[in-house]
Amino acid sequence: MEALTTFAQLLAGGVLTGLVFALVAVGLTLVYGVMDVVNFAHGEFLMLAMYATLGLALIGLSPFAGLPLVAIALFLFGIVVYRVFIRRLLAGPPEATVFGTFGLLVLLQGLAQALFSSDFLSVPHPPLQGTLRFGGLAISQATLAEGAGALVLTAALFAFVEYTETGRAMRAVAEDRVAATLMGIDVQRVNGLAFGIGAACVGAAGALLMLSYPVFPTAGAPFALTAFVVVALGGFGSIQGALVGALLVGLLEVFGGFYLSPELKMVPVYLAYLAIVLVRPQGLLGRR
Amino acid sequence: MRPHLIALAAIAAAGLVLAYAVRDAVVLDLVFTLLLYATLGQSWNWISGYGGNISFGHAIFFGCGAYTSALCVVHGISPWLAIPAGAAVAALLAAITGFPTLALRGHYFSIATIAVAAIVDALVRTQGWLGRANGFELPIAAGWASMQFADKGWYVVLALVLFVAVQCATLALERSRLGYYLRALRANHQAAASVGIDERRWKLIAFAWSAAMAACAGVLYAQYTLFVDPPSTIALSVSIDIALIGVVGGIGTLWGPAAGALVYVVLAKAVALKLGGTGKGYDLVIYGAIICVIAALRPHGIVGTIVDGIRRRRGAAAQPPARLAAEGAA
Repeated sequence: MEALTTFAQLLAGGVLTGLVFALVAVGLTLVYGVMDVVNFAHGEFLMLAMYATLGLALIGLSPFAGLPLVAIALFLFGIVVYRVFIRRLLAGPPEATVFGTFGLLVLLQGLAQALFSSDFLSVPHPPLQGTLRFGGLAISQATLAEGAGALVLTAALFAFVEYTETGRAMRAVAEDRVAATLMGIDVQRVNGLAFGIGAACVGAAGALLMLSYPVFPTAGAPFALTAFVVVALGGFGSIQGALVGALLVGLLEVFGGFYLSPELKMVPVYLAYLAIVLVRPQGLLGRR
Repeated sequence: MRPHLIALAAIAAAGLVLAYAVRDAVVLDLVFTLLLYATLGQSWNWISGYGGNISFGHAIFFGCGAYTSALCVVHGISPWLAIPAGAAVAALLAAITGFPTLALRGHYFSIATIAVAAIVDALVRTQGWLGRANGFELPIAAGWASMQFADKGWYVVLALVLFVAVQCATLALERSRLGYYLRALRANHQAAASVGIDERRWKLIAFAWSAAMAACAGVLYAQYTLFVDPPSTIALSVSIDIALIGVVGGIGTLWGPAAGALVYVVLAKAVALKLGGTGKGYDLVIYGAIICVIAALRPHGIVGTIVDGIRRRRGAAAQPPARLAAEGAA
């Protein structure tokens, strides 16, 4: 009975962790799908969102109230970054987008360090400090809110891409840029929107994470690293793939951390990635 | 070919004079770091520049050398033996990990190298005989036999020898069958396969050489700092530094890694010294901004841009495609 409770506890933890990974990863995969760019600074966008949430909390707005504001701010930030920077990278060879976004990563981490120092900072008096109990299961309210919020937002993004006119335009650009242009789609506008929405995803994720995590200049990096694996595991460009990959990674990480050792918790995740891409080089749900 | 050899000889001569004449430890440290990173960048360039498989896990091969060196010293074996041993271990690791992963395309390969490196990092941190997370502190024993020198100039000389050797090897690569096949595979792997180039075989050879050269740099690094631990040798951040040096200079070019290492050492290290330590982050701001500017305005890297410029002036072609120019840079 006790083993069963432990298992259920780990299962719940894995799913909730995985849902947060999914929200970070869908932003990455959307950008990749539309313009073939892996944004290596994605985690630093997350870090900026966390600092923004903290700033709002210091003037009295809870992370929940701050979430839409931070998401909008990151959306605008993403569009500006696309217009000023990413657009130019796209004109160069493929490796330009790789090291350009790495440069952005270094720049943003450095800025955060210079402006906010390397200290770990948390939201003072965060809401949802209690723990919910279901039978033998204990789940902190903050973790539950993070997972549920991430699920709702991931679903909303999926619905947006699937059912709106703009979403359809994005899918058209993802499928065939030239044909989309011929159909009268403004590719630059669609790219900019996709980049903005990708940033808004980590904007929302950053606000949710401040419920239980501290922020520091490299706070986003581990999430982004996991998101790269999630996106590749699910297949670059696939939103459903990102969700499936994220849940798999969340479960592997939580179970691995418990049954192996905390130091080895990522090993099953990476082994699973290697095993899956060796069989399916395009990831679980990716296109060739 | 001749101008490259003359340039190499000039660098070697300048380096020797500098190692003999300069006694400022900070300058010698910067020069040593420059040569070491230029070597590492070039080793990365073999598989990622010429081969076109961008690796974000190259530090594990550097780590092979550093750890082999540390283990040799700790167990009373000459660190000179760590050079062939570390290179062999690294080449073997490259062959084992490259065999399945080199078939992956684009970002799937890059993420696979991150995965492999992260697994190696996690395993090293849990193995007692590899020092776990604490690593090794090497006992001090000055002299040629123990490859340790009180005078930093000798380290500069050794790094110079390694750098010149790796540059010569790369010069040879550019004129060898392996070099031509790699460029053909990178330009169009399907076309290359259709004329009978065995992609896996040639990329495995390039990957093994690339790993072995990085391991030699690792041995030297361990003997220089006398301290080896995961964050300073095999961590993802080291891999990313190596890759950035490769691309900032211009991938798939002979002098690109050296140019990239110069930017890295001058900006990331010297600026950090000037601004008082790396804690403030200003060095990262400057280095990151430079990478962004180069990526946006000169996406073929420093050397790639210069090569383009020379071609255009010579009028070799009315409109040389920049990508081909960077690939053909010799």
